Amino acid sequence: MLLLGIDTATRRVGVVLADEHGMLGRVELGGTSAAGPPRHAETLAPAIKWCMDQCGVEPEQLSAIAVGIGPGMFTGLRVGVTTAKVLAQSLRIPAIPVPSLDLLAYPLRHVSGALVVATIDARRHELYWAIYQPVPGGVQRLSEYELSNPDELVAELEARGQDAILCGDGVLRFPDVFTPLGRRAEIAGPAHASPSLAALAELARARYEREDFCAPEQVLPMYLRRSDAEIEWDRKAG
Amino acid sequence: MIATVTARSAAETQSVAAALGRMLRAGDIVVLSGELGAGKTTFVQGVARALGVEEPVTSPTFTIVQEYDASVPIAHVDVYRLHHIQELHDFGFEEILEDRVVLIEWGDMVTPVLPRDRVDVHLEMDDDPETRLITIDAHGPQWAGRELVLDPR
Repeated sequence: MLLLGIDTATRRVGVVLADEHGMLGRVELGGTSAAGPPRHAETLAPAIKWCMDQCGVEPEQLSAIAVGIGPGMFTGLRVGVTTAKVLAQSLRIPAIPVPSLDLLAYPLRHVSGALVVATIDARRHELYWAIYQPVPGGVQRLSEYELSNPDELVAELEARGQDAILCGDGVLRFPDVFTPLGRRAEIAGPAHASPSLAALAELARARYEREDFCAPEQVLPMYLRRSDAEIEWDRKAG
Repeated sequence: MIATVTARSAAETQSVAAALGRMLRAGDIVVLSGELGAGKTTFVQGVARALGVEEPVTSPTFTIVQEYDASVPIAHVDVYRLHHIQELHDFGFEEILEDRVVLIEWGDMVTPVLPRDRVDVHLEMDDDPETRLITIDAHGPQWAGRELVLDPR
C-alpha cells in the first residue's frame, strides 16, 4: 500500500508519502516565516513530483490520495483539493479527505489532563478552530468545526474551565488574545503551526485499511463561511 | 475624514482618483458606488495609473476580479454580477483583501462583508453630462492619522 498525502490549508504546502509501515518521506514549503503571497499553485505539483522521485515511487503504485480539506486558507485549499481529486481520478484510486484541524490536534494526543485546541488563521481577525480531548490512540473532537473571532474561543475555553494546549497558526497570529486564560492555556509554538503530515500519513493509513475512503468527486473543501444573504439589487435600482 | 470634489470631465475624475491612488498602500480597500455610467471604472483607471499600471484597465464585470502587478499589487473587483454574499466567499474574497490595494465597484452593495477600515468613493452625476460630484470618505483605524489630500496634480 502506498499513500500520497497533501495538505494546503495554511500557507504551508505539505506533501507526504507513506506505506503500510509508516512515512516514506515528506516535503514542506512555505513555513510560518515565509513572506510574500502564498505559492501553493506554483509549488505543490513540483513538490509532489520531487517527493515521489526521491522516494522512488511511480504514480501507478499509489493506492489512494489523502488530502487535508481545511477549514483554512481558501486559495491553498482550492489548489490542494483540486490536485488531490485530479490525481485520484486519473489514477482511478480512492481519496481520503481529512479535516486539517484534526491533523493539528493529533500530534498532541499524548498531552494529559488538558484539552487540545487546534486553530487555523481565517483572516479578517477570525480563527477556524475545534476542541479535542486526548483519548487512547488519538484525539476525540468535542466541538464542531468553528469559525469565530479569537475572543469567542477564549470565552468558550473560560466556560469549559479546563487546562488547554493551543496549536496552529491561528493562535500564533493572536497570542496576546489568550493571555487572560493565564496558565490554563499553553501555546504549542511554531513546531505545531501547520497540520501534521505525519498525522496525515498515520490517519490516512488507518482509514485506508478500514476502507473508509470515497470517490474523488465526493471530496469537498470544508468552507465554514456560509451566507445565504442576497445582495439587494432591487433596493438599489429603486 | 470626508472630502468632496467636483470633477468637470473624465480626465479630472481620473486626476482626483490618481491623487487618492498615490496615498494608497497594501491592505487599503476602496469601495466605489454610483449609478451605471457614473464613472466607477474611470475612477479605478485613475488609481491604477497612479500606482503604475500600464495595461488597459476595464471593468471585470464578468470575471469578477482582475489583478494587476503595480508598485502595490491591485485587485479590481466588480460585484455587479453577483446575487448572493456566498459568491464572494466562494472565490476567497477574504484573502483578496490582504496585501493588496482592493478596489470594489458596487462595493456599497456588499458592505456587511467589508472591513470598517476603508475608503468609500461615491460618484454622482450632475445635470452637465461630463461633471461628477465625488465624495471620498476614508474611515476606520487604518485611516486615523493619515491625511486625505486630493489636489489633482
